[in-house]
Amino acid sequence: MTEEPRLSAQDMIDRLAPVLSPRVRIRAVAALLAGVGGTVFVGTLWWSEPGPLPGRTHLAFALFTVFCLAWATYGGWLLTRRVPLFATDRVIAAWIGLAASLATTAVVTVVAVQRGTGAGLALAVGGLFVAVALALAVRAHARRAALLRRMHELTGREER
Amino acid sequence: MTDELLVVRAQLGERAALAELLAQWRVPVWTYVRRMLDADRADDVTQEIWLAVVRGLPRLREPDRFAPWLFTIARRSVTDRLRGEYAREQETLAGDDVATEDPVEAMVDRAALMNVLSELPVLEREILVLFYLEDLTVEECAYICRIPAGTVKSRLSRARRLLREHLKEKGYRP
Repeated sequence: MTEEPRLSAQDMIDRLAPVLSPRVRIRAVAALLAGVGGTVFVGTLWWSEPGPLPGRTHLAFALFTVFCLAWATYGGWLLTRRVPLFATDRVIAAWIGLAASLATTAVVTVVAVQRGTGAGLALAVGGLFVAVALALAVRAHARRAALLRRMHELTGREER
Repeated sequence: MTDELLVVRAQLGERAALAELLAQWRVPVWTYVRRMLDADRADDVTQEIWLAVVRGLPRLREPDRFAPWLFTIARRSVTDRLRGEYAREQETLAGDDVATEDPVEAMVDRAALMNVLSELPVLEREILVLFYLEDLTVEECAYICRIPAGTVKSRLSRARRLLREHLKEKGYRP
């Protein structure tokens, strides 16, 4: 049997292009961040409404929250199931996440203070997001550094 | 460049390293799939395997064990396609976990092996492909097939016996 694969290596890479495309990765990270950020923001607005709200307003807030959660779920699903994030991508994604967490925390705190509901809860929730994003950034950097170290070891060994 | 270095570079996000890894393992993976499935399904399944490899690569914790990991994915994809046939084979061999001696036998003739492989039962065919065609060790075969090394040896021994019978039927003389 002297058969050969019908697809060349280049064909195979071309077929994998959608999975490796940076655009899909950016879309996934953006969907996740927008979803999480939106959920926190809408949730804060809803929670910090000073007076009692009519039923329709509650429904509108609930729908907005569900909508944002759906985007967050979609982004998370893309990142965990469909789109591989390599070490360098993870570092970039973690920093974007940290920046987004800080920005969301700042906006939510300002809104809470302006409405006179106090900044405590907003800072606590925002702080939690910032802490998680920071932990992910540290982990991503450590993983990348470990891979770089291993690469230099192996490169040195090959050159010898 | 070693597989480990290519894997590490690919894990860092280097597209060129990923392409090189694929170029290096494209034929061995396809050969394994082709020996287990017909030609029409082989290309499809091979593509599925590479898709799973690319998606799983960032999470591979032992880059030096790339080959067994790759063939574990390949095996899962092939098993999914062969599910019915494979389940029956597994049931038949459920009690066949006794390790037997693995005497050093004469080298298997590669060409003859290829011709009769398709006539062997799935499990025996698989172990012959991994061990003889992909040159994997008994331990690696055990890791890929999720069976003890002793079972690999007994399955190999049974596969060789079946192979010998098939070869004799076809008129080959040892």
